[in-house]
Amino acid sequence: MFRKIKRRLRVGSQQDNIDTIYTGIDEPLPRNIERVKERLNEIFSECSDYIQREIVCGEDGSVRILVSYIEGFVDKKILNQDVVRPILDYFSSAERQDKAKRVYQLIKECIISNNEVREVESLQQAVYKIVSGDAVLFVDGSKSALVVGVKAPQGRQVEEPDTEVSIRGPREGFVENLATNMVLIRKRIKTPNLKFEMMQLGIQTKTDVCICYIKGIANEEIVKEVRKRVKKIRGDAILDTGYIEQYITDNRLTLFPVVGNSEKCDKLVAKLLEGRVAILCDGTPYVITVPHLFIESIQTSDDYYDHAFFASFMRVLRFLALLISNLLPAMYVALVSFHHTVIPFKLIITLAASRQGIPFSPFVEAILMITAFELLREAGVRMPRPIGQALSIVGAIVLGEASVNAGIASNLMVIIVAITAICSFVVPPLIRATMLLRFAFLIAANFLGFLGISLVAVTVIIHLCRLRSFGIPYMAPLSPLTATDLKDSFIMVPIWAMITRPKILFQEDTRGTVGIKRQEVDKISED
Amino acid sequence: MEKARISSLQLFLLITGFLFGSTLILNPATGAKNDGWLAILIGGAVGTLLLAAYASIALLNPSKTLVEILRDRFGKVIGNIIAILYIWYFIHLASLVFRNFGSFMLTTTYPKTPLEVIIAVFALVVMYAVNSGVEVVGRMSEILVPFVPVIAVIISLGILTVHDFTAFLPVLENGISPVIKASLNLLTFPFGETIVFLMIFPHLNKRENLKKVSTLSALSATGLFLFIFFRDITVLGSHLIYQATFVPHLTSVLIPGINLEPLFNVNLIIGGSIKVVICMYAAVNGLNQLIGANDYRKFTTAVATFCVVLSIWVYENIFEMFDWAENIWLYYSIPFQIVIPLMLLFLSLIKKGNPAHEKSIE
Repeated sequence: MFRKIKRRLRVGSQQDNIDTIYTGIDEPLPRNIERVKERLNEIFSECSDYIQREIVCGEDGSVRILVSYIEGFVDKKILNQDVVRPILDYFSSAERQDKAKRVYQLIKECIISNNEVREVESLQQAVYKIVSGDAVLFVDGSKSALVVGVKAPQGRQVEEPDTEVSIRGPREGFVENLATNMVLIRKRIKTPNLKFEMMQLGIQTKTDVCICYIKGIANEEIVKEVRKRVKKIRGDAILDTGYIEQYITDNRLTLFPVVGNSEKCDKLVAKLLEGRVAILCDGTPYVITVPHLFIESIQTSDDYYDHAFFASFMRVLRFLALLISNLLPAMYVALVSFHHTVIPFKLIITLAASRQGIPFSPFVEAILMITAFELLREAGVRMPRPIGQALSIVGAIVLGEASVNAGIASNLMVIIVAITAICSFVVPPLIRATMLLRFAFLIAANFLGFLGISLVAVTVIIHLCRLRSFGIPYMAPLSPLTATDLKDSFIMVPIWAMITRPKILFQEDTRGTVGIKRQEVDKISED
Repeated sequence: MEKARISSLQLFLLITGFLFGSTLILNPATGAKNDGWLAILIGGAVGTLLLAAYASIALLNPSKTLVEILRDRFGKVIGNIIAILYIWYFIHLASLVFRNFGSFMLTTTYPKTPLEVIIAVFALVVMYAVNSGVEVVGRMSEILVPFVPVIAVIISLGILTVHDFTAFLPVLENGISPVIKASLNLLTFPFGETIVFLMIFPHLNKRENLKKVSTLSALSATGLFLFIFFRDITVLGSHLIYQATFVPHLTSVLIPGINLEPLFNVNLIIGGSIKVVICMYAAVNGLNQLIGANDYRKFTTAVATFCVVLSIWVYENIFEMFDWAENIWLYYSIPFQIVIPLMLLFLSLIKKGNPAHEKSIE
């Protein structure tokens, strides 16, 4: 049935595109400028932002040039200064009467003062260039057109990302503009081995997507696989790297992120230097990296800038937080409803006192409180920031204090949900996975106590062991155990002691590991 | 056969986890009272030899599973019959472990929960693991099995204040025969059961390590058995250890001030799950090869369901379980664990010494 639906969807999306210009075969540019004008007007009918200007100059108007662009997309000042004015000046001052071909050559080689000049031969390509923000010059009698890159700078300035805050380290974050992002990366890795492979994705949007890696460090197999999977993407639109992420992920039915994303330049560069492959997409500041492993969720860029002792401690703490945010409510429910004997005697008195007069079972109580918390969080995210703060205060006071006073929730439950909530924010990449797993653990705890929790935990571990990210086992380096890569897991060694690059990214199953030492890579790149 | 590969470390952990398996609940060495440590030493030593013998069989028949080896060595008809018996044996073993696990949970923590529910829920997890393939099971062992010794040490530290080191004395109070009996039990109870691994051995990525890995894991399991036995006997004394139903559990309950029972349950689930997963994997894979189907996953659900039903039906009550484990299992297992493997080893050695003969058969 799924297959049928899928097929229908595919057929539907194809039908939509039949009458768009892109699906047609490239038609050659007509030599006659009148014909070009006609076709362009036809294609851009009802496009009020489309501008075309005809320049007629030379003796008795023999030189005819058509300049086409999209309003606002190109920098008019530069266009005038680099293209229109030189052409007018040249043909008005000199009394030359050249053949059409000469005119084209002259314009291309000595008149236009812009650096970025390319040629296109078909009408479709020319149209594509126009809609992507270039100015296109059609010269009468020539079989190709000139594309001049006069794109106006778009979007916001480079600033610190809101989503990933670091205490120490660079504050630059990516922006929506792909070219700016590429510069931000290139600026930090000054080697020609840093490769950017461009391609256009999305039948309608034609979004620029760029695969980025460092040749000689990244595993060629992974690069090849990324290329293959990205090229397979078929869809109308790519609006964010999130779209690409969903297309290229290994396991589509998982709660855990098998593709990483980041908005921070230094973090991405570090990932590239470890041998990972990044995918950039025009129009979004989020860059995705593959392969993404479980251990990366508890790593932050701050770890590497600070002393390894603190970093190791923080990582263990983060992992602990992850466990607590998953398990704490479930543990509480299991303890209260199944395993009274485990609770120390003094605590059980406090517990009984706090639960006195509560009409709900611990499970219902926990579900209610956690749902309330998730609602609060979601509302806080969606609201404009000032209102969001007010909301959290209302939530904290009303839900926390008043529900205890009203006898709906016990004090201990409020404490537990609060701790759970705090802990869930410690490991941001896993927030969504934790949110759902928490309910799974809770339900299991309600039915089978600690046995249920353990069984769900074992299931989750099996699932984690099953996952792969671009062929690399998700739980590496913990399992399969890669001893040298433990240097950057829970316990982190200082930067000067990290002599080898991660071996896990060079693993082919468990059959034999091919690690490359840093010196060897340097040697390769020198050759 | 699945083309998956597991590393030496993974195999080591799998065997060790398998050996702990249900031994954490039932300890056959307790039959020898305070001489149990002698039984463990003897059983462990012989068990290590047995494992080495299994490894030799696997090495003499490279990249072949038990079913294929049986067919090669005994001919197609007899080989297939013995293979069917082995598959039954693995299924039976899996259901016994299921039952051990279920009974333990029922007795200690969940007196009102039906046995069927506990075992069925456990079986679901096991099925998921089996269907994930041997590679995932190997990786899972790397995360789970290290918990077993760690939890054992935590419990031992908690109980440090309660001990009586004279509990070992007098040595050989009841003569040598209970010790021999207990060590025989120990030989067939966890060690001989590793015959299952003849279905796993072909997946090892470095075959030259096979013997080392299997003997090492048997030795370390023996070490941990000794450790746990010493802990239990110093805490409980020889009389109580003989009488108690679930010895390690009783020990963990004795920790002053706090009840670490859940910790012990976790320990059990890990050991138990690895053991059942391997038995089930061996059974479905054997069945798959026997029939010549292309994917063993088709059989998992059926075999798991059968195991659950069998595990409930196999004993009337927990005492029958203990009686069976102590008195019948030994004789039931000897052909599977010792007689047929030794014949296989013998036949393999002959074939190896006479390669021309091998060719003429083919």
